[in-house]
Amino acid sequence: MTTATVIRARFPRTVNNFDNYSRAPGQALDGFGRMVWFTLLSLGEIPLTLRRYRSETVRLIAQIGMGTGALAVVGGTVAIVAFVTVSGASLVAIQGFASLGNIGVGVFTGFFAALVNVRIAAPVVTGIALAATVGAGATAELGAMRISEEIDALEVMGIKSIGFLASTRIIAASVVILPLYGMAMIMAFLSPQLVTTALYGQSSGTYNHYFRTFLRPEDVFWSFIVAVVIAIIVMITHCYYGYSAAGGPAGVGVSVGRSMRFSLAAVVIVAMNASLALYGVDPNFNLSA
Amino acid sequence: MTISTELGRYVGHQLSRPLGHVGGFARMSSLTAKAAFRWPLQWRELILQSWFLLSVTMLPTILAAIPLTVLLTFTLNVLLGEFGAADISGAGAALGAVTQLGPLTTVLVVAGTGSTAICADLGARTIREEIDALEVMGIDPIRRLVVPRVLAATIVGSLLNSLVIIVGLVGGFVFSVYLQHVDGGAYLSTLTLVTGLPEVIVATAKAVSFGLIAGLVGCYRGLTVSGGAKGVGTAVNETVVLCVIALFAVNVILTTVGVRFGTGH
Repeated sequence: MTTATVIRARFPRTVNNFDNYSRAPGQALDGFGRMVWFTLLSLGEIPLTLRRYRSETVRLIAQIGMGTGALAVVGGTVAIVAFVTVSGASLVAIQGFASLGNIGVGVFTGFFAALVNVRIAAPVVTGIALAATVGAGATAELGAMRISEEIDALEVMGIKSIGFLASTRIIAASVVILPLYGMAMIMAFLSPQLVTTALYGQSSGTYNHYFRTFLRPEDVFWSFIVAVVIAIIVMITHCYYGYSAAGGPAGVGVSVGRSMRFSLAAVVIVAMNASLALYGVDPNFNLSA
Repeated sequence: MTISTELGRYVGHQLSRPLGHVGGFARMSSLTAKAAFRWPLQWRELILQSWFLLSVTMLPTILAAIPLTVLLTFTLNVLLGEFGAADISGAGAALGAVTQLGPLTTVLVVAGTGSTAICADLGARTIREEIDALEVMGIDPIRRLVVPRVLAATIVGSLLNSLVIIVGLVGGFVFSVYLQHVDGGAYLSTLTLVTGLPEVIVATAKAVSFGLIAGLVGCYRGLTVSGGAKGVGTAVNETVVLCVIALFAVNVILTTVGVRFGTGH
């Protein structure tokens, strides 16, 4: 009997733990590779999806816009995104008014709202609301399909399951995000104005002057691009976790949680990279000049 | 049958489900509050759940906190540079990290990962009728399962808040000093310029209430799952949505309160 066998027999749990730790990096790499492969496949099948599964895509656009089940009762995705952006943008105004007031430049709240909401708050907040409503919903739906073997049934019937389930959702999300983000932008413009002028009593002329002066159309354009990129990444992530769910009903719940975790980190990392790439060299506003 | 009774019936029918959920949630919350003060507490379950929640939320918290810190510090430093006040970049970083970044990241992580994990766990037990089995055996599921989870979520929420604040302050230092060439001494000495004990207390209060709400929502949706595998997924999805909505609303209210009683006034 070799020493290794003796140790394995004497301390089975410790050895098991060590085995798990040593296998973890390999498994993580494996999972990452599968995710990249899924991404490539689902993006690659978009042309085919547009030709063959057009009605399913249209159905999903309607479903994503309005939400299903209990979500539809409270007004669907639209109402939730609107509510969350209103809260996020008013938060910027409340904190901005107080903090800028501390250093004696409370009049710059309009400028602060134009800058922070367009560049940071709106894309991040919308992305997270999208992940929570549409994304987590897609994971739950696809996961339930996977464990009740409906996806296998699709494959047997000769339907490309990734194209039919994932690519359609990615197309639908990138279509829906445009009007949705337009509405989020309007909310992000109106709610700080309301907070600053109606609640804190700043004159609306002052607010509007600084807001309009520092609201640049290019910023808004880039903000839209960032939001679309975030929506596509969120959708791919959630479709992947739903598509690869395993382990019964509990497994579906676990993969919804995992997908949420991943897209949370993905949304902020995309926003950070975009912000550094767009405004890192030249912040593009001149207060003093 | 007049139109008004038809209309009344329709409205009542539409509202009965959401209102039923509101009532059920209130009932579970009050039962949990009552059970939380009854001895003995399930210490073992509490510690296990806290450990589990921390292991689920720790990495996402750090992963979400670092990019947000960089975003915030970068924007604030550019802004302060324009005012010619780059010296007080520490004050901006501290204010951002303590008042907004800490609670906000805690909200997102606790709602997105903590409460989903709780809901998935309890939901799977509910559809396997394990909860009914507990009740048959005369064990109160609220005392045995819900109270430890809600307490664990509250504790973990407050711990995550301090983790995010630490990441925010250290990350802000590294980013400002090494990448944006702010003076290191100036950063450190202005950290406490506009951020004092009241801000920290408000931030902790926010984090604690976020953890509490997320734990309660996760437990409630987990215990009311119906409809098999699809039901668990839908319940987890609804948990995320409800938590994000509730927590953003609470954050606005607590920020307004915090600003009113802050150091600057």
